[in-house]
Amino acid sequence: MKRDYHDIWGGGLLAALGLAVAAWAWSSYDFGSLRRMGPGFFPTVLGGVLAGLGLAIALPAWWRAGKARPLAAPEAAGVLAAIVVFGLLLQPAGLVPATVLAVLIASAPAPKRGWLWRAVLAAVLAALTWAVFIAGLQMSLPVWPWSR
Amino acid sequence: MTTLDGLIAGFEVALAPSVLIYSLFGVFLGTFVGVLPGIGAMAAISLLLPLTYYISAEAALAMLAGVYYGSQYGGSVASILLRLPGTPQSAVTSLDGYPLARQGRAGVALFTAMVSSFTGSILGIVVLVALAGWLSGMATKFGAAEYAAMMVLGLVAASTIGAERPAKALAMVVLGLILGCVGTDLNSGVQRFTFGQTQLMDGINLVALAMGLFGVAEVIGNIRTADLHGRPDRVPLRALLPRADDLRRLPGPILRGTSLGSFFGALPGTGSTISSFLSYALERRVARQPERFGKGALEGVSAPEAANNAAAITAFVPTLTLGIPGDPIMALMLGALVIHGIQPGPMMLEARPEMFWGLVASFGLGNLFLLVLNLPLIGIWVSILRIPFRWLYPAIVVFVCLGVYSVRGSGFDLMAVAVIGGLGYLLSLAAFNPALLLLGFVLGPLIETNLRRALLISRGDLMVFLERPIACGFVLATAALILASVVGALRRQSRPVP
Repeated sequence: MKRDYHDIWGGGLLAALGLAVAAWAWSSYDFGSLRRMGPGFFPTVLGGVLAGLGLAIALPAWWRAGKARPLAAPEAAGVLAAIVVFGLLLQPAGLVPATVLAVLIASAPAPKRGWLWRAVLAAVLAALTWAVFIAGLQMSLPVWPWSR
Repeated sequence: MTTLDGLIAGFEVALAPSVLIYSLFGVFLGTFVGVLPGIGAMAAISLLLPLTYYISAEAALAMLAGVYYGSQYGGSVASILLRLPGTPQSAVTSLDGYPLARQGRAGVALFTAMVSSFTGSILGIVVLVALAGWLSGMATKFGAAEYAAMMVLGLVAASTIGAERPAKALAMVVLGLILGCVGTDLNSGVQRFTFGQTQLMDGINLVALAMGLFGVAEVIGNIRTADLHGRPDRVPLRALLPRADDLRRLPGPILRGTSLGSFFGALPGTGSTISSFLSYALERRVARQPERFGKGALEGVSAPEAANNAAAITAFVPTLTLGIPGDPIMALMLGALVIHGIQPGPMMLEARPEMFWGLVASFGLGNLFLLVLNLPLIGIWVSILRIPFRWLYPAIVVFVCLGVYSVRGSGFDLMAVAVIGGLGYLLSLAAFNPALLLLGFVLGPLIETNLRRALLISRGDLMVFLERPIACGFVLATAALILASVVGALRRQSRPVP
């Protein structure tokens, strides 16, 4: 039996999230009344609506064939890791090391092999970010680990 | 202020070097990203949002608007040459543009797209000026109930009209509304969904959300596929010249496309994508030989291009006169205005006329740049299509990081971008539209405030939404849209799966 798993998972997770939001808002914030809406009113109602919509997405998908789209897991891991590493390195190590490392990590899942083009790209982008953000926009960022 | 006075004042603003240079930059950059398959106008505008902190409000809006209509032109270049729409608005253009390119008439198709876009934009500006004055007069009759009802109508229209699965689109809007609740409640001062994180007290950062959803998620989704397309042939300048019988075909489709585009652009919730699809359908219906469509009919390039550019301009009508963004791109524009402490709305036309007229003038100038620039630069855009995506996307990632970091120098925002980008990729993998999430996010606080105010005035009586005629009209239209999409979904369900 073929099912539309994207919609089952997507709808199901949204329904669960909606319920959680509604429950949290209902128990933690004052609901108020129609006349004086409290801070809990809007999120509680919205959470309920999202739960309903999530079910409306997930339930029909159970009896329907869906097109499977492959998850680009290595690509996602590379790009997200590059952002996290950049964020962690920028202050302690400076702009140039953070950029070089982020470019190397982000370009790792690219479909072309070889390290030379990756190294050249990292060097070019480090120079470019320095030119735009330090020389051009005068952002106050450390450039090297020892420059502060 | 009469229209003429306004235009004179407007050109004074728009011709100021600081505004002019950013408008030019926006048009150029917009065309650049529009040409690149894999990143669209949303990503480009999100990337430029941090830069708007450093420049004046007029320059910021002129630049972002330039990116918007520039990207539409750039998108049609990729559509025509490679059948690879850079933006959803230009997907229709590939239906007849690509066959034309295969017949060796790519130059004529590009020329048609350029002239139709330009004419559509200029006529759209005329409509914008006419409608804005009338609507901001109307808007003084708007109370909180009308605002709340109109915004809900806009959200429902954006997610149901033309959507394949309205429930999924609506779910994205509601998720956006919920994310808009995060942070300090303006009315009671209560911290909602912050879980003790002080960085969340001001709410989720718009720049981080937009960059995560569009920059990061789009990059991830395109790494594997973006380089699989072929390389386009070079287009010599002389090939752009149309024949006399080509020119005779254009005025009708341009006028029909512009009318449709101006109308649907100004309507909140519908925008340039829908107008370009509708105007293509209309051209096929009025054509004497409808069988030519899909095989290289110039009308099939001209009408949608005129429509989507006219819609891109008139979409500013509700944004500037009512403060209600009609589509996700306008939501980002509104965000940029709010960054500068300007709350668009009916008062803006009176309180800051130079802002409004300056924008009108800069739209005109920007489109002129687009026409003048792109004729000689067409060779550059074609060679951009030859750059492999693997060289571009690491640069995009680094620029996203620095852009987000520059807003408030916080590493927390970068972690947020990574999380939002991952979730955004999963959403688009499961065919949920993240643009609607952003629209809900921007409108959420506005809807909550107006809803609360309307019910406070009416002492909790929900009938206020039906007793006031304008609000009642919005509520009935919303109900009709929901009913129509429920009926449509049930009908699809009963049809056997092929």
